Amino acid sequence: MKRTELLELPYYTVKVKTGFPSPANDYLEERIDLNKELIKHPLSTFIVESEGDSMKDAFIPPKAKLIIDRSLKPKNGDIVLAVINGEFTVKYLKKNPFKCWLIPANKKYKEIEVTPEMEMQVWGVVTAIIVNPNDTRCML
Amino acid sequence: MYALVDCNNFYASCERLFQPKLENRPVVVLSNNDGCTIARSDEAKAIGIEMGTPAFELEDTFKKYNVAVFSSNYTLYGDLSDRVMKTLAEFVPKLEVYSIDEAFLDMSELVYKDLAILGMDIKRTIQHNIGLPVCVGIATTKTLAKMANRYAKKKYKKLGVFYAANQELVNEMLLFTGVEDIWGIGRQYAALLKRNGIHTAMDVTKVPEEWMRSQMTVVGQRLWNELRGTPSIEWEYEAPAKKNICTSRSFGKLTGDKSILMEAASNYTAACAVKLRNQYSCAKAINVFINTNHHKTELPQYSRSITLEFETPSNLTGELIQYALKGLDIIYKEGYLFKKVGIMMLGLIPDDQVQTSLFDTKDRTKNKEALKTMDKLNKLLGRDAVRMASQGFERRYRLRANHLSQKYTTNIHEILKIKN
Repeated sequence: MKRTELLELPYYTVKVKTGFPSPANDYLEERIDLNKELIKHPLSTFIVESEGDSMKDAFIPPKAKLIIDRSLKPKNGDIVLAVINGEFTVKYLKKNPFKCWLIPANKKYKEIEVTPEMEMQVWGVVTAIIVNPNDTRCML
Repeated sequence: MYALVDCNNFYASCERLFQPKLENRPVVVLSNNDGCTIARSDEAKAIGIEMGTPAFELEDTFKKYNVAVFSSNYTLYGDLSDRVMKTLAEFVPKLEVYSIDEAFLDMSELVYKDLAILGMDIKRTIQHNIGLPVCVGIATTKTLAKMANRYAKKKYKKLGVFYAANQELVNEMLLFTGVEDIWGIGRQYAALLKRNGIHTAMDVTKVPEEWMRSQMTVVGQRLWNELRGTPSIEWEYEAPAKKNICTSRSFGKLTGDKSILMEAASNYTAACAVKLRNQYSCAKAINVFINTNHHKTELPQYSRSITLEFETPSNLTGELIQYALKGLDIIYKEGYLFKKVGIMMLGLIPDDQVQTSLFDTKDRTKNKEALKTMDKLNKLLGRDAVRMASQGFERRYRLRANHLSQKYTTNIHEILKIKN
């Protein structure tokens, strides 16, 4: 169950004994690791794919990959993966001490007011969106 | 102090995590090849589905109660288990992974903390961060921690945590637990105890230590001490090397074709050989067995096994396959439809203790190097990318897995799709 790290590390360029060593060797640092930048809590992070266009104005076109962190506490204004009456949906979360709503980012869709008889749960908070530019044409 | 953390209905809970509409619906997970039930949600238990029942006997029940049935998706369960274990490891300095869904946590260095609150914190964190329900039992010995866990499940399901903080609480669960439900007591010892009027764990603590020792050897003595709060079972932070390695599976379809059996035997042997090398062991002998399907009483029945001893203990894939095929050749009989073939590696010893036989002509070092390369390549390219010719390429005996869910967490093409 060991996780394989796919990140390549830069290596020292000099092995020769003669000649002048590269002046950069003392300054080598690890390359930027997107895993580390985008995933703060790997144990509680999951990746899902969004299929519809109800969140297109939030930069989530169809086929966008969403990085979801379950360990975060959902705040007002977060984009969340919610479960509403057993179905998954990605929406903006709007809440005040008394009420909460799931808000789409596309005028075609209506906002959902979460009523007491609904079963609503936040599955996780969206922390990053990965989009292939070819999939963004619907946003024009 | 020890804690035992155990995931509730682990496989069923894993499936539910990615299909929340299954909440409140009975969920069942079947063993390899969709054979019999190996995990049940609470709802499935409530409608009377037992562990280990063959799936074909349950077809009507499945329909009647709208049961969600799954083939076992070990890739998914393995990843979620890994997440649970690593999350648990953040709470304590030491932990022993006891099985895919339970772990012992060493809390002895945390005595200054309120352990009940720590237990609840653990439960809440696993539920929140990973989405799986767990129960936590905390007590002074491993056996009592295991018992506390069971007690939490049975008595304090909602809370999910039981901390046997004082003798009064320990007694409460000792009285509640029958001898057959004590960790480490098999059916025979349970019967022995009952014959002698010992029915609960509490009763066990009251008999003289000498009696336990004389009736149940050191095992009984150790148990007696554990139940009385004296830790007597060692920690095993690293899983011990296995004593036997076995790979056997049922075929998706019955077969009488010898070449298919040979291919399966080769593949299973190759899998065993990798396991051997991974734990730096060699086997002294191999056991090959074949069975027909004994549920199909209308068909002629045949089952046989054979053990072949190696000249030199080995973990070399090619050599092991040769023996496996030789064994299969001896026990195979025409005219039967086979359900299962299995390979067992026996008499495992550390590979640095192998004495080569006087007449050994094999170049073992060279062979070893080649296999090391093969293992590395397979790790990189996927299982069995490089293989022995007799393993074949088609896997014609493939397992049945008609209800397999996606590999949501390990394959980018199988991630959860959200209709938005």
